[in-house]
Amino acid sequence: MINRRRFLGHSCKLGVASATLSSSVLQLGLAREAAAATQQGYRALVCILLAGGNDSYNMVVPNDVDQYAEYAGIRSDLALEQATLLPLAGTTPAGRNYALHPGMAEVQQLYADGELGIMANVGTLLEAVDAQAVESGSARLPLGLHSHSDQIAQWQTAVSDDRIAQGWGGRLADLYDGVNVANGISMNISLGGTNLFQSGNSTVEYAISAEDDGATSINAYDDGSEFGDFRKRMIDELLAVPQSNLLRREYAGRLRGSIDAQAVFVDALQASVTPSALFSPGPFSQSLRQVARVIAARDALGACRQTFFVQVGGWDHHDEVLDNQAGMLPAISLGLKEFRDALIEIGVYSDVTTFTTSDFGRTLTSNGKGSDHGWGGHHLVMGGSVTGGQIVGDYPLLSMNSPLDVGRGIYIPTTSVDEYFAELALWFGVSAGDLDSVLPNVRSFYSPESGTPPLGFLA
Amino acid sequence: MAISVRCLFRRSLLIGGLLVVGACGGGGGSADRQPAPVPPAPAPAPTTAELNASSLLAAQATFGMPYEGIEAMARTGNEPWLDAQFAMPVTRHTPIVNDLVTRRSAGEFSNFEQDIEFLIFFRRFGWWHNTITADDVLRQRVAFALSEIMVVSDNVDALIINPYALTNYYDMLLRNSFGNFRDLLTDVTLHPAMGIYLSHVNNRKSDAVNNTFPDENFAREVMQLFSIGLFELNIDGSLQTDGNGQPIPTYSNTEIREFAKMFTGLSYGGPGSSFGNQNPVFQAPMVMFDAFHEPGEKRLLNGLVVPAGQTGDQDIEAAIDNLFNHPNVGPFIGKQLIQRLVTSNPSPEYVERVARVFNGDVSGVRGDLQAVIRAVLLDVEASNPPTPANGGKLREPIVRYAAMIRQFNATSTDGFFFNTGYYVQNVLRQHPLSSPSVFNFFLPAHSPSGELSDASLVAPEFQITTSTTIANMTNVVDFAVNGGFVMDAPDPPFGTVTLDMSDYVAVAGDVDALLDRLNIVVLHGGLSDATRAAIRGVLVDIADLQFRAQTAIYLLLVSPDYAVQT
Repeated sequence: MINRRRFLGHSCKLGVASATLSSSVLQLGLAREAAAATQQGYRALVCILLAGGNDSYNMVVPNDVDQYAEYAGIRSDLALEQATLLPLAGTTPAGRNYALHPGMAEVQQLYADGELGIMANVGTLLEAVDAQAVESGSARLPLGLHSHSDQIAQWQTAVSDDRIAQGWGGRLADLYDGVNVANGISMNISLGGTNLFQSGNSTVEYAISAEDDGATSINAYDDGSEFGDFRKRMIDELLAVPQSNLLRREYAGRLRGSIDAQAVFVDALQASVTPSALFSPGPFSQSLRQVARVIAARDALGACRQTFFVQVGGWDHHDEVLDNQAGMLPAISLGLKEFRDALIEIGVYSDVTTFTTSDFGRTLTSNGKGSDHGWGGHHLVMGGSVTGGQIVGDYPLLSMNSPLDVGRGIYIPTTSVDEYFAELALWFGVSAGDLDSVLPNVRSFYSPESGTPPLGFLA
Repeated sequence: MAISVRCLFRRSLLIGGLLVVGACGGGGGSADRQPAPVPPAPAPAPTTAELNASSLLAAQATFGMPYEGIEAMARTGNEPWLDAQFAMPVTRHTPIVNDLVTRRSAGEFSNFEQDIEFLIFFRRFGWWHNTITADDVLRQRVAFALSEIMVVSDNVDALIINPYALTNYYDMLLRNSFGNFRDLLTDVTLHPAMGIYLSHVNNRKSDAVNNTFPDENFAREVMQLFSIGLFELNIDGSLQTDGNGQPIPTYSNTEIREFAKMFTGLSYGGPGSSFGNQNPVFQAPMVMFDAFHEPGEKRLLNGLVVPAGQTGDQDIEAAIDNLFNHPNVGPFIGKQLIQRLVTSNPSPEYVERVARVFNGDVSGVRGDLQAVIRAVLLDVEASNPPTPANGGKLREPIVRYAAMIRQFNATSTDGFFFNTGYYVQNVLRQHPLSSPSVFNFFLPAHSPSGELSDASLVAPEFQITTSTTIANMTNVVDFAVNGGFVMDAPDPPFGTVTLDMSDYVAVAGDVDALLDRLNIVVLHGGLSDATRAAIRGVLVDIADLQFRAQTAIYLLLVSPDYAVQT
């Protein structure tokens, strides 16, 4: 008989939450900060990684006559037809108009409704650089610029001058250690498997699948039958054997952890109301459906703070940018809308911020129907707290002679990932004093003491 | 009288995995009187230590062996076994696909192809059948290791719908597994499946009018992943550093653009081929069309200037030479082969020994893969890790799953071991030639946070060992051992595969004998007292011998002791 754990109806209000602060938090010397961090109830970040480098100059396109002409000239056979683009409501402070890829009608509406913002030309940087310094080799640049493995890592670690194994979502979870009920379920939940973003010093992600209740059980283990008891006994005794080899010890720990977490996790999901909002069958929508289910179960899970990681692969369009994006961008747009509807139904839309990331943008110039690895790219941020309906940062003026161009239409980012993530982290509840422990390079671009937000897209 | 061991080796033949021992020549005697010929004493059965040593080599060099195969290897001796494997003809995958295509064309599957064209399964069927049955077991395992370095994947439509696309690519890897690395690099570069996967088929020279440039995809990955890696290496695999203690990149974006020029002008081969042809031809290498090849001088690595005016084929040769002769290749490729076969954390000395073999320090031949494989498998560290607590590798899911099928003498009702592999791919996140990107399923440098990263150890296979996949692996074993579900090919029209555990049931009456046999086959002697006691305690409570044998097999195969090969 599975022991039904009684959930304490965990609440994230101040007072109740501080009662759950464990001694481990005090040991980390973060009691003051953690108490401040729990003031705001439930908060969640949903990180969407478009793996491979989304060609975002075809996701957000200049729509003024002059800039569209530049776009079409530079992009050659990659250019979308202007008549097919979906205009974004309003203009930028500089009076410029932009439009979306034809397949993103849902995003167009979310933008118009002020729920979604576009982050322009975001990329990895160690410091502000100019094209001359880049081309002469005198600029301090991120390691492995334009290389998938390094850039996809740096978008997760927010550290571009070193190759480290912890991500900023993991550092968030380290900081918030003890805020959630200690039941073996990580604050960081992944629909995309193992990932750097959610790895911390004392945190690893809890990886679930989009199917069923997300967490797989060992067949028959503790299923209430006599055989189930026997199966439980044999597995428990096997895993209780101490292992001297480190790899074996890690394996045993993971299997034990999987079994223990599964029981808690599935109980929590089944004890909670599943949102009725509909999700389409594609993998991205189904991943977000599962995220919504887990968010709906946050009280049963005892979670005040969560991060989620969803990965969508296949964006490395060295070939057939137009055909590939025509199939893939609509799925992103639809999934975001479906997720938004579920969050509204659950009543947490203002407490959940969803944001995209990607290894890099791509070369403005074509290699013959495809583009190559670039640098800065445009991204989407959605949520009830987002000051949407704006293009945040600096969408570069496209030109054959752009001062930002370091070759092949690769433009130096005008916003660093540090600023982008800083705004998300501060909204999540990280204090100004703790910001650079989460984002070690943030002070190259933003002073946490300034009192003003880094970019101004989150309330 | 002890049989001369040398005599035994010379007179024994390995045929299809079965040992046939010929009698040695008659014993010596005095010149005065010829004694009556003394029949040779039967060869002594291998000792347990010898069986374990062969079982370990089987784990490192094959997709797994049953008890009989291990015993045969031990009787032969590990090195002669390797020699025989190197000499064995290649078992290609294409004939399986040919046969299935013929059967399909003859209408054999038409009643069953309601929802899906079986054609797209055939590449996978070929792989699984050969992996389970082929006798050139070492070559099949090495080709799989190479497929995780020179990655192509069926996550591109053009490579799924034609079963010959990836089958031909894999046969090319098989062909090159014991050949020279330069030939491997050339054949990978010119293979149409790679041309599609990394988009250098129909890659055009620069076009100023249309503002288009050579595609950089293959140029980058051939350096980063297939030959030299990101940073200058010492021969022992450690990173070289500059005056500031920083690693030294092997190339910049500039070199990528230069190499990209080298890989222009290629299109599909075959009769009547032309540049720009969009219809893939997979059974012939790509061919060069100079009219579409980037003209002019190109500046490659280490100061090499490729002069203008050469043919595209000459340029390709120059590019391959430039990469092949880079000092990084030995440690870069050698270390990964060690990681795929033996251990995740070889000592620098081990890497250097293997790299020197690659470099041809003794033989004078650079890039001899047969010599490299031999060096990897026979190195002292392969059988004696210096620090057992830090040693070993997590068995990758596909090898672990295939090993279960081979170790337990799986049988098939139609003689074929066809698996679509979609089930294991979905639940274990791995399948040959099906990785999510050119970066394989896991990165060589992946270091799980916690004890392993604290100890600066890497363990690549942990990157796909999540709460979900680890439970799934446990259940995959359960389904096969206890549930009779091994492979997922549609049945009918294809046969059913089941494990044959009868040899284990036969000894299950004696729990220790059962565990001893399993210890040899599964753990090459590594069953610890504590694990043995834990499993034994469960087995003695099971009266039914079938169930007892199955439970022993299940527990050992899901154990951390087996999961990590040391």
